[in-house]
Amino acid sequence: MGDHLFPLHEVGSLAKPRWRTKGLRQPLTTSDLNEAEEWASRLGIVNYHDLAKEVLKNGPDRQRKLLQLSTLYGLRLFEKAGLDNDGVGGEQQRVEMYEHVIKNVGGMRFLGHVNSFDYKYFRKAVAEGAVDRSQPIYVQEFRDVQKLAHRAVKVPITGPYTLVDWSYNEYYQAKGNEGSSLKERKMSARRDFLLDLVEKVIRPEIRDLVEAGASWIQIDEPALTTHPERAELEMFVEAWNETVRGFNCKFSDHTCYPNEVGYRLLAEYTPELEKCSQLTLEFANRDSPELGIDGGAREGYQALRYFVDNGYDGEFGIGAIHVHDYTGVAPKQSGLVSGRDIIESPELVRDRVLYASKIVGDPAKIWVNPDCGLRTRTWDVALAKLTNLSKGTELARKEWA
Amino acid sequence: MIGSGKRMSSTVQAQLSGLHARSEALIELTREYDRNRVPWEKVEDQLESETTDLVKLQEKLGCEYQTDGALGWKDQLRPVVDSISGLAESTRYSRWFDTNTFYKKPIVNGTVALAKFDSGTFVKSNLLSKDRKWKVTLPGPYTLTELSENKHYSTQSELLREFASVLREIVLKLNSVGVKLFQLSEPSLVSWPYRETRPSTDELEQGIDALRSVVEGVRAEFVVNTFFGDAGPIFSSLQSLPVKAVGVDLYETNWETLPQEAREVGLLLGIVDSEESLVEQPKWLVDTASKVQGKLSCPSIILAPNTDLKFVPRGIADSKLSSLGEAARLLQGGLS
Repeated sequence: MGDHLFPLHEVGSLAKPRWRTKGLRQPLTTSDLNEAEEWASRLGIVNYHDLAKEVLKNGPDRQRKLLQLSTLYGLRLFEKAGLDNDGVGGEQQRVEMYEHVIKNVGGMRFLGHVNSFDYKYFRKAVAEGAVDRSQPIYVQEFRDVQKLAHRAVKVPITGPYTLVDWSYNEYYQAKGNEGSSLKERKMSARRDFLLDLVEKVIRPEIRDLVEAGASWIQIDEPALTTHPERAELEMFVEAWNETVRGFNCKFSDHTCYPNEVGYRLLAEYTPELEKCSQLTLEFANRDSPELGIDGGAREGYQALRYFVDNGYDGEFGIGAIHVHDYTGVAPKQSGLVSGRDIIESPELVRDRVLYASKIVGDPAKIWVNPDCGLRTRTWDVALAKLTNLSKGTELARKEWA
Repeated sequence: MIGSGKRMSSTVQAQLSGLHARSEALIELTREYDRNRVPWEKVEDQLESETTDLVKLQEKLGCEYQTDGALGWKDQLRPVVDSISGLAESTRYSRWFDTNTFYKKPIVNGTVALAKFDSGTFVKSNLLSKDRKWKVTLPGPYTLTELSENKHYSTQSELLREFASVLREIVLKLNSVGVKLFQLSEPSLVSWPYRETRPSTDELEQGIDALRSVVEGVRAEFVVNTFFGDAGPIFSSLQSLPVKAVGVDLYETNWETLPQEAREVGLLLGIVDSEESLVEQPKWLVDTASKVQGKLSCPSIILAPNTDLKFVPRGIADSKLSSLGEAARLLQGGLS
């Protein structure tokens, strides 16, 4: 933790710059390099030309150099914005949170795309055999970050519950499971898959990360509130406690975008999560853009009470800025709405932080972060939003003092 | 012969319902269209080609009722929502029950009414066989109400009645262009991930009354389907509806607990799991359907996916449909 109240951290991914995405597949053009140079200048990357030369060489490690350079940019962007913990630089070395893991898991095979809505799709894999880790998933990225980061780091990893929820489960269903109904048998197979994934994939990965020096691992479980049912939450708690068992490391859970009852039910189970030092949650998305530190203006933060009332006594990472398309309006003093973006004002961030502190009752338990990863925003927008997140948090510190 | 060994006079058939899966080729084209890289005509050509393939598959499997697979539907509500006035333009997406998929949430900010009806957005009738009966799946009035945000009507009951009235109009119009069977999907009658407590019995009965107001007196056939939750508690009430069949999701409903009573309404058995890739074997489908029929003695059985097959890739969705067709064929032999 930092030496001041309300330390700031990122939650996950940043957009990948064009030169990074394109550069993995084909040679870069002058225009790509100009863009990279411009951002190098903005982010204070002084040895850009030396680094770029390395990337432009057609050596066998060109792709690795490109990913390292992109990671450096992400770290410096977070640093410039004023964060206290820079994560792994916006997950620049990962394709996507699900695929990045699954492609390194034996027993899993990608089957194809499934429609999410409109013309958006996600790739889905099946467990067609017992799962195991075929190679380390995040360790190389973490080692790069260790060399490049100037500030504290945290390693976000995709949680086993989410990986299971987003996959098909043929192998474990075919094994024959307990239960008198199809529903019970399906649930039993889901639990087998989950616990196997924890044991054979996630724990070995955490072990390697901890041995490499990771001191904080954030377990991302966006699927957690998809199934607001007690049996699901009980299974999640069992898997979580098994995941973290015996490791000397700080663990936090990141969950976001629940449906109407998701946080309320989750809150009942969070006191049972062992070694869960922080809940990093999304709130800004559901909050009003009005200034103020009363319940009316800060309607989005009411759900924090569930966690406090249920006895969770760890830290809270509160989402104080929105990360997706913004379709509403906002008073001038609350931020600037432009196209599909809102750049929240420092004053709006300040009020959100102060109100959350009031609910939790102990400002030392409050960390400040975006709702989720900023990967759908441009770097210009991400930097502007994070900078105001930082400024607003500073206003909150002054106010609280 | 099935089930208890008695000879039954039931009919068995396989039916597709809801949104079928898009192929990888169609997925790629829609993505490219979304990025303004291909014109809509190219997407439309592929849509037609894949719809035709799906129609042929249903023909090959001997399906009496044909659907077009709703391959162009952007979500399970969209053509209905796009036909109704009184809804705000919004880009707010909400989670579709407990799946990792989303729908555009209707925001009700005025009096709802059927505004711009185009049968082509509901059914590709030009691609369906003229010698088969056509089926369309629509959201039921209760589910449509539950999944909307009501900023206009003073009560949900009022909105429910209005949506039922609009849906009835849509049904009548589609019936006039040749649709014979309507499947009304009512997952919200059995699944409440959006609520802290389950709806009261009175409220659910209002939902069933709304369904009645959609179907009563219409010269078409109807199936009311439930999925994502246990249909057991409202199964008997649903059977009071003047419909061809009531549907249950076998992966949520324990059929052994369903009431054993004299029935006039058929059963749509959601026996294929649309959320899992494992393709159910016809023999397993036959055995399971036989056991269910042995207990429930339904006048007719429709073998179907429990929900939209859009949750699996196209090849798997087609294989699941083929299994349903084969199982229905085997059961028909046993039942005749």
